[in-house]
Amino acid sequence: MALSEILTQEKSIYLQIREMIERDILRDVLAEEERVPSTNELAKLYAINPATAAKGVNLLVDEGILYKKRGIGMFVAKGAKEKIRNKKKARFFEDYVKGLLTEAANLGISREELIAMITEGKGEED
Amino acid sequence: MDVLECRGLTKVYGKKEVVKQVDLTLEKGKIYGLIGRNGAGKTTLLSMLTAQNPATSGTVTYAGMPVWENEQALSHLCFSRELGNSGTGANGWKLKDYLRTASIYLPHWDKEMEQRLMEKFHLDRKQRINKLSKGMASMVTIIVAMASKADFTFLDEPTAGLDVIARQQFYRLLLEEMEETGRTFVISTHIIEEASDAFDEVILMRRGELFLKEKTQELLERCVHVSGRADALEAATRGMEVHAKERFGRGSGATVLLRPGERIPTNADLTVQPMSLENIFVALCGEGEEL
Repeated sequence: MALSEILTQEKSIYLQIREMIERDILRDVLAEEERVPSTNELAKLYAINPATAAKGVNLLVDEGILYKKRGIGMFVAKGAKEKIRNKKKARFFEDYVKGLLTEAANLGISREELIAMITEGKGEED
Repeated sequence: MDVLECRGLTKVYGKKEVVKQVDLTLEKGKIYGLIGRNGAGKTTLLSMLTAQNPATSGTVTYAGMPVWENEQALSHLCFSRELGNSGTGANGWKLKDYLRTASIYLPHWDKEMEQRLMEKFHLDRKQRINKLSKGMASMVTIIVAMASKADFTFLDEPTAGLDVIARQQFYRLLLEEMEETGRTFVISTHIIEEASDAFDEVILMRRGELFLKEKTQELLERCVHVSGRADALEAATRGMEVHAKERFGRGSGATVLLRPGERIPTNADLTVQPMSLENIFVALCGEGEEL
């Protein structure tokens, strides 16, 4: 079992379920070939409709991140971590950079200033 | 400044300590939210603060005067109880007689306010108290509280059974009245989320004890939910005030009440989320309960 975040109202529940499972896989809370909570367990844990939980889980099945073993349950696929990372990388521009650029333009932050901020921020992280 | 204060306030029924050693200072011009689980001692506390129920020990004072059997102090206080539990035997009365009686006992009664709210809530003066629906009974307790014009007004579950529109009307009314008159309101409720924006401060009771009294915004700012890998969570929250910690395999989640200067470092292994008052309530009061 994993998934310990709280659900918010800002986003559809099934998307939050999907993202929580993805984060848990990235953090090694859920290992590859390990069983993930069933939709009924998720439904009970978060007091949500099982169909909603299933919708989130099925998105991950469709992407090959989880797979079903008939009669046993849902498991993390081999290579899932890599797959999630690649998917997030591919969406990084859309999810993070685009908004950053729009807001920078709104505020009149120049290209040079923006690059300087990123370089500085990266230094702090390290 | 005229404050209502209690010190060491305790109520014992038989062997059960229902309210334990409560110290509280209530200021003018504030809206306090009194929250706690069923049986936490909220109603008993309110009834002792307003001298409707004698304390086993401890003191209650208004502007420095003891409240018990003190007409002068009591003229500034009103406790509008849930109807049907009032023990006044008024259940067969017509609404108009009930309100007339209230206007006699409450020296600052505002007849115009009474009429305005009767119309606002579409209540019928000839209706009998015991024929009112739960929501309508709540409306009557709101009318009594508002029309009392008491400096310190206490409402026990005023939103029980009210539909969402009436609940919004109530909170608007409350904020308006507080703005205009500087009265203080203490409201107990189980419908926490929608009320949290109206509360200046939250008073949280747990098993008869005062667990915390804090400005709502400050409480919301210092409560966070942390989740992620259990070892990372353990390391990041060491020495902090941690509640409702749950462990799921290698994952873990917990509520942290940050003290001044404390922060949870952001890192890839942890998610830090803000919490609603309801989330905080569940974490603090549901601890150890199986959900």
